[in-house]
Parts: sequence; C-alpha cells; structure tokens
Amino acid sequence: MTSTLFFNFIIRWRWPVLALTLISFLALGSQAPKLRKDTSADAFIDPTDPALIKRDEVEALFNIADPILVTVVNKSSDGIYNKDSLALVAWISEQLQSLDNIDPDQITSLATESNIVGTFDGMEVEEFFEQTPDTAERIDWIMSAIADFPLYQGTLVARNGQATVVVAELIDENKAAETYQAVVQLLENAPVGSADVLHVSGEGAVAGYLSAYIDNDARKLNPLAALIITIVLAFAFRTLRGALVPNLIVILTAGGTIGAMAAAGVPFYAITNGLIVCMIGIAVADSVHIFSQYYEEIALDPEADGKTVTSRAMAAMWMPITLTTFTTIAGFIALSSTTTMPPIFYFGTFGALSVFLAWLYSMTTLPAVLSMLKPKPSGAFKHVNNPTKKRNLSARTLHSLGQVVLRSPKVTAAVGLLVAIFAAYGASFVEPNEERINNFKTSEAIYIADKEVNELLDGTYYLDVLVETNASEGIYRPSVLQKIEETQLYLEQADGIKGSTSIVDFIKQMHKAVNENDQNYYSIPDDELLIAQLFFLYTASGNPTDFEDKIDGDRSQALIRATLTQNKYSENKLVVENVQQWLDDHFEGSGATATITGDIPVSYHWIAPIMQNNMLSVLVCTLAVVLVASLLFRSFTAGLLVIVPVGLSILLIYAVMGATGIWLSVSTSMFASIAIGLGVDFAVHTTHTMRHLLQKKGATWFESLSSLYATSGRAQFFNFVAIALGFGALVSSDVPPLLKFGFLVAISVSAAFIASLLLLPPLAMVFKPKFLGASINEN
Amino acid sequence: MKIKYLVSFAAIAFTFGSLGAIAQDAGLSALDIIGNINSRADGDHVSRSLTIELTDRRGIKRTEKTVGFRKYFEGEKRTVLFYTEPANVRGTGFLTFDYLDNELDDDQWLYLPALRKIRRISSSNRGDYFLGTDLTYEEIKKENKIETKDYVFALQGEEVIDGHKVLVVEATPVDRDVAKELGYSKVLLHVDPEVWMSRKSDFWDINGNPLKTVLNKSIEQIEGIWTTLRIEVENHKTDHKTVLTFADVDYTTPIEDDVFTQPRLRRGLR
Repeated sequence: MTSTLFFNFIIRWRWPVLALTLISFLALGSQAPKLRKDTSADAFIDPTDPALIKRDEVEALFNIADPILVTVVNKSSDGIYNKDSLALVAWISEQLQSLDNIDPDQITSLATESNIVGTFDGMEVEEFFEQTPDTAERIDWIMSAIADFPLYQGTLVARNGQATVVVAELIDENKAAETYQAVVQLLENAPVGSADVLHVSGEGAVAGYLSAYIDNDARKLNPLAALIITIVLAFAFRTLRGALVPNLIVILTAGGTIGAMAAAGVPFYAITNGLIVCMIGIAVADSVHIFSQYYEEIALDPEADGKTVTSRAMAAMWMPITLTTFTTIAGFIALSSTTTMPPIFYFGTFGALSVFLAWLYSMTTLPAVLSMLKPKPSGAFKHVNNPTKKRNLSARTLHSLGQVVLRSPKVTAAVGLLVAIFAAYGASFVEPNEERINNFKTSEAIYIADKEVNELLDGTYYLDVLVETNASEGIYRPSVLQKIEETQLYLEQADGIKGSTSIVDFIKQMHKAVNENDQNYYSIPDDELLIAQLFFLYTASGNPTDFEDKIDGDRSQALIRATLTQNKYSENKLVVENVQQWLDDHFEGSGATATITGDIPVSYHWIAPIMQNNMLSVLVCTLAVVLVASLLFRSFTAGLLVIVPVGLSILLIYAVMGATGIWLSVSTSMFASIAIGLGVDFAVHTTHTMRHLLQKKGATWFESLSSLYATSGRAQFFNFVAIALGFGALVSSDVPPLLKFGFLVAISVSAAFIASLLLLPPLAMVFKPKFLGASINEN
Repeated sequence: MKIKYLVSFAAIAFTFGSLGAIAQDAGLSALDIIGNINSRADGDHVSRSLTIELTDRRGIKRTEKTVGFRKYFEGEKRTVLFYTEPANVRGTGFLTFDYLDNELDDDQWLYLPALRKIRRISSSNRGDYFLGTDLTYEEIKKENKIETKDYVFALQGEEVIDGHKVLVVEATPVDRDVAKELGYSKVLLHVDPEVWMSRKSDFWDINGNPLKTVLNKSIEQIEGIWTTLRIEVENHKTDHKTVLTFADVDYTTPIEDDVFTQPRLRRGLR
C-alpha cells in the first residue's frame, strides 16, 4: 500500500526527518522573541474602517490624547471638600509631575486650575489652590466657585462633590502601560485621608492592565492546559511515552505557530492565549488517535518490532487524521475569511497553520520517534486481542452506551431532533452586546475604578461631534455657535450622555465674566466681533495649545465632546443612530456640517457587523466543513451526516448563552467557528470508522457498529477529554472573555463528541446511506 | 531709576565691540556674564510694532499685528499694546503696570472694542504664557534679561552660533518652588559677549524634559541699543511655534505719559 511505503520511508530516514523537524522548529521558534503585544482597544478594529479613520483624523486635528486619570473619591457628607482630600489632590498633582513620561505641564486638577470670575470693574483669575485650602472659609470658597463654573462640574469635580479628578497627559502614549504601573506604585505612598479612596483609570490604564493580565494568564494557563492533557494521556495509555511524546508534538506546533506569528509581525492580542490552548488541544488530538492505534497494533502482534507497529498504526490512521485536519482547517479559514477584526482574522489564520503543523509533525516526527522505541504493550489495550481480558472502564462504558442507542436508533434520532428544537428556541434569546470593561473581573481595581468614576463624574467615554465650516474663523459666527449649543442641549438630554463641552461653554463663561459675573450674560453674544474678542481673551490667558482640543488653528472647525458613563454596544446603538439623525436634520442649511465621531461611534460601527458576521461565519464554516467532508468521503450525504452533531452542539451552546445571559460579543462570536472546526473531528472519525467497520461482510449493521465504541470511540473519548479539559483550563483565566470562550468551546466540544458517538451510528442505521458501504447485507 | 539706565547704556555703548574678548580674558564668572546681560541698555522708552506669528503643530499659522509702547516711570514700567490685526480683534488693547517692587502684583487692564468696556484683569503668574505665545510673562517682561535671584549660574564653555562666539551658561533654579513658578528645571543660555544677549536659549520643563528653544535673530544696534528684531520660539513638547518680529523700533521719539492711561487704551491708536 502506498501509505505503508510512505511511512516505511519516513521510518527509514527517521534521523534526517528528526533533523528537519529540529531545524524547522528552531527556524520558526527563534522568531518568537520578536513577538510584541497589542492590548489596545483599537487592535480589534480593521485599520481601514472608515469610522476609525475619521476618528483618528479628528483626534489628530484636535490633538486629543488618552490621559491617565487619578480620581479621589470621598463619600462623606462634605465629599472631597475637606482639608485632607484637597491636600491629597495637591500631593498627587505635585508628585505626578516627577514621574517619567508624564508631562508636568499638562496636569489638570483643582490644584492647577483657576477660577475666572467677573467683578464690578473687571475679571479675577485666581487659582483654586493659590491659598492652601486648609481653612473652612477657603474650602467653602472653592466649593462655591466650582458651583458657579459649569465647565468644571462633572469633569473636574463630581456634581455631588464626592469625587475630583487629576488628569495627567502622557508624553509617549506607547509607554502608557509602564506609566500606569508607576502611577499605581506612586499612589501607594499617598497621604490618603480616612474617607478617601483613590482610583486610576483611562485608556492607557486599561491597555496597561490588560497587558499585565495577558502575561499572568499565559504563565498560568498554558502550563495548566499542558499538565491536564498530560494527565489525560497518562490515563489513556498508562505509559510514559504515551504521556510525553504527544507533548513533543504540542511544543513543536505551538513553537512553530508562535514563531510564524512573530516572523509575520502579527502581535499577540488578548485572545491569543486562547489560541495556544487551542493548539495544545489540536496537536494532542492527532497523537491520541495514533497512539491508540499504535497500542492496538502492539496488542494484536506483540512480537512485531517498533518500526513495524509504527508503520501499521500510521497506515491505519493517516486517513482519518488527514480528513479531520482538512475539516478543522476549513473551520479556521472560514473564521478568518468572515471576520472584520484583525485579532480574530489572525486567530483563524494561525489556528489553521497550527492544525497543519500538528498534522505535519504527527505524520513525520511522531512515527520517526515511535519507531525508535521498543514496543511495550499498554495496560489499557490488553483486551484488544485477548477476549479473556476485561475491557477497561472507558471502553466498557462506551460500549454499553453504544448498545443502548443502537438498539433504539429511531428513538435516539427523535431525541436528537427534540434537543435540536429545544436548543434552537434557547438560542433565540442570545443577546448581541459588548462592553470592554467586562474584559476584567468585577473584583479588579480597574473595573471598580471604571464603575466608580463613571458613576460619580460625567463619564470617561466619548462621543464627539465635528462641526465644520468652509471659512476661516467661520466658527465665530453666532449662527454656528448657536447650532453647537443646540447640539449640546440635545446631546445632554440623550440617554446615556451626562455632559458635553465645546468652545461655546468657554465663550459663555467669558461673556459672563466680562459682564460683572451676571448670569444673564451666560450666553452666546449676538456679535461676531465680540465672540472673536472674548475667545481671543481666553486663549491669550492660557497656554498656546490650551484650546486645540476644542477648535482648530484656522477657527473653521470645532469639536463638541459628549461624555458617557459606559461604552456598551446596546446603549451605543441607540445613541449613535439618534444623534447622527439629529445632526443631519438640524445642521442642514446652517452653513456648517456636523459629523459624529469618537470612541463610542467607533465601537458601535465595528461591533455592529459582528452580528451579521457571526451568522455568516457559522454558515460559511458549516458549508466549508460539509464541502470538505463531501469531497473527502466522496459523498454529499457524508457531508450532511458529519455536520449533524456539530450543528447540534453549536445550537446547544447558543442555548446555553441565551439561558445564562452570556452576550454574543467580540470574544464569544468566534467560539462557534472554532467549535465547528474542532467538533467535526469526532464526526469525521466516527463516520470514517463506521465506513471501515461496515466493510466487514456477513455482519449486521448493529453488529458492525457495536464494535465502534470500544475502539475508535475510546480514542475519541480521550481526544475529547484532552480538548475539553484543555479548554476547561481557560476557566481559570483572569480575562473573563477568555474564560467564557474556554467554557463555551469545552461545552460544545463535549456536545459534539457525545452527539457524534451517540447520534451518528443510530442515524446511519435509520437512513443507511449508500456511501457507508452499499455491499453490506443486512440479513 | 532713569539715571541708572542711562549710566548702563553709556557704559555699554562705550565698551561694546571689544567686550567679548575682555570678558574671557578677564575670566568673567557666569554671574558676571549675567550681570552684563542685565546691565545692557534697553532705552528709557520705546515704541515699536510687533508681529506675532503663531504656528500650531499642523502648520496652521495665525498672524497678529500690534503696536506697542513701553516707558519707565518712577517705580514701575508701563506697557501698552494695541492689536491692529486680525480685523476682528482690532482695537483690543492691554495696559500693564509692572512695579519694580517685586512684592507688588502687576496691574493690568484690557479693552475689548466690541464690549466697549475697560476691564481690569488680575495679574499673571511669571510662568504663564504671554498672549498665546510660547514665551512667558517673565520672559516678555525681562526683555532678554534674567532675574539673578532665581537661578544658580555655571559657565559651561564656549560655542559658535551662526558665526558668533558665545559663552554657554547653565542656569538652574535655586529651588523647586522657583522652578515651578518659572516652569523650568534648567536653562542653557548661549550668550554673545558682543551684544550681551543670549542668541539661543534652551529650556527644560520641571521634570527635565526638553521644553523649548528661543532664538534671538537679527540683533541690530538701533540708536545705540542692541535690539533683537526677531525672536523664534519652538516648543518641543507641543510643536507649537512663535515668531515675534519687531519693526519701527524707536527709542528716541518721546512718548507722552498719557499713552499709558485707561482713556487712551479705550481710544486706541487714533
């Protein structure tokens, strides 16, 4: 047979094969240290996404940065208006100035800002902390000054006075993670008052936190998954080589894939830890089947030498392993071809590569190694050629289960159908949603900081509106400023938006200040010259770049920034769609145009397609698997049969998500395609074995299929246990999306295994498809 | 006070030219060099037009034109600045009384023509930026001179800038409070002993990050007084640039005292 010749060739040239293995591993593995991490929120967005490009343009135009925020919270009756809290604000503002990468000139807090107030003959600009706020009188003055300064309310100090923020801008945002750590360390020595609580937040903080998360997770998850799988292998084969050699294939596959990622310049994303666990499962699956066959061959012919049993085992197993490799690759490629998110695209692409590498090493390195080892029987396979020996527990249990389902094939098929209907109903409750802060456990400091800060202040998530005129200084036109003011009023009434700022707020504040602080003048002057002069006055009193985040240098464009307290897809969807509609309706004919942008619209725009893409991905994945299986088995019926257990398992998982309230989100959207790719292996192995068993003449369908359970069934069982427990290791992850991903894949792989073994043979008995072996004589 | 300036002016006028060589040969200390800078004459009064070009990090330039007057009075220096361009701020004026007694806060008034009111505005801190430029009030007020009490000076050597031999003096604020007040942790002056002016000054922020560079260009002698006609400032952190161009510098035509009054501020240049 050709396959035997091939494996004999591999075994004969095993040293060169091993040398090539080592060279390929070293060549790819040596690239691994080049791997860089990308934990930014933008990493998930296609760089060519128009909403992202627009936001980046606007951010560049207005020089908008992501600062680090330190919030002082004090929930006592006076809030932060007490000596200790204000001294703490002064201490933080002062100390932050000395930290590397923090711009000492761009720290904003009560300790750095001034009150601008109109007097009978002019205007007073007085720093809030010009006098140390250590007397009740001075503290009262600060409190009433803030109460009279709308621009600071909700942004610098909470409207209820229970929090105040110190904003620190970074010199180099690429070093945000280190700076975040330095800030946290600095605050450990802060003179915190008895009722004061400190929180650190901001995009830089989130990215920094996530980066540390990934490292911790990788250190914990991967050894844990490897350990679990080794234990499973030890149980399955009860030999040292059975437990260790598959780990060699795992190392080669994982090292090669990670090396290839690094060489291709693809970063390590938050979800890439999931890929490593995936690789461990994939790489070990091929070995489980080869080792099962290997030990069966030893049991059947105890006298045969290492080369012979290895060659026989490989000749028997190459076909189903190659089939499952193709179907799993089809699943991964379908995933990468239907996603818009780079991390998932690379997950699919490198997942497919890892499946290929696992297959390649299993077909070459594994037989090369096995052939060198003297065959030793495994205690778990004694029964194979010795009817007097009792089958082991796993084989016995599977066999008994097989008997139950094969005796009542129609009932089993009906139960399967009922489960599918029930699952489809449950799946209808799945809610598409995403909230980035849910990347963290609710007990984490960053999560608590986000919730607390957003509860007390006006929000740390932004929706921006770019207002453009076609003339230099066009923004000074009263009609344009009035449109901006109307837009702010509309925004502030929208659900989820708590506050907004724009150039209009400064002009109104200045207008009031130059008019003896008369509240009636807190308005836009109906005089373009006065507007220009008031703004000129304001800019002349600050840093040259103070207003660059509100108005461009040419005064033809302005930015309205609205703040939201959460960045949740379901909320964003309503806000973004309504605001855009309002802008379209209200700016028409005003001489200015308005465009919605910022993080909130970007989040909305890139998450919206996940829903369509998820369905598309599942569909494409299913079709790809059906197609590949049909081609491999040369029967479309085979393709349809193979997809039944996988489809059922996917429906079940959607039902689990619907029932437990797990959102269909960025991370969970990819589980289905991966589960199809992995779960289909069981269906392929079962179908392949059924066809093989049904070749035997003179046996009934029942007799032939009955023997499936203790052999292929047992190998699949350990394959399933290894994968399910490997993914189960993700449950110990500190990254909730990874945890959910692991949980869902583990459940769906379990469901696919059970459905393949318990549903496919009864279905075969009911429908008797021709491709399984037309020659069989039922009588 | 006037006498003091006239004396310094005469001394400089008499000795300039050969002074650089003398400075080094005589082994002047850093403090002597700063003393020479501070002794440089700047006239009892001056009128001039000033063009302010502000360029943001995207290269968008705003040009503002002003006419300014400055005169020493007993106990204070008075400055008035009228904007002539852009058109929408024409007539806007600032009047400042800068008291020589450091204990006294400056007095400042502002006139906005569209508001038709004079408003008194509170004094600015020394480290605040001056009218949206990259120079601080302290730098504008000192007109290329340095407050000796603020810094410890160290002579670092010599360099050549634009063909001029300069003495490099490092100025470090005397303490953290002064550093914070001024906004600098270090200043490196490149003093040309021919004119006793720094041709190039590098500034570092209070945390030691490079902050800005100030170049004094087109230094000319006008009516016996060394005058810089072009100051270029580049902020390294914000990429914002400022160019101040002086023209029609006149140290001799008398300026009436009432130019520096509120009624004149309201009336403007008419």
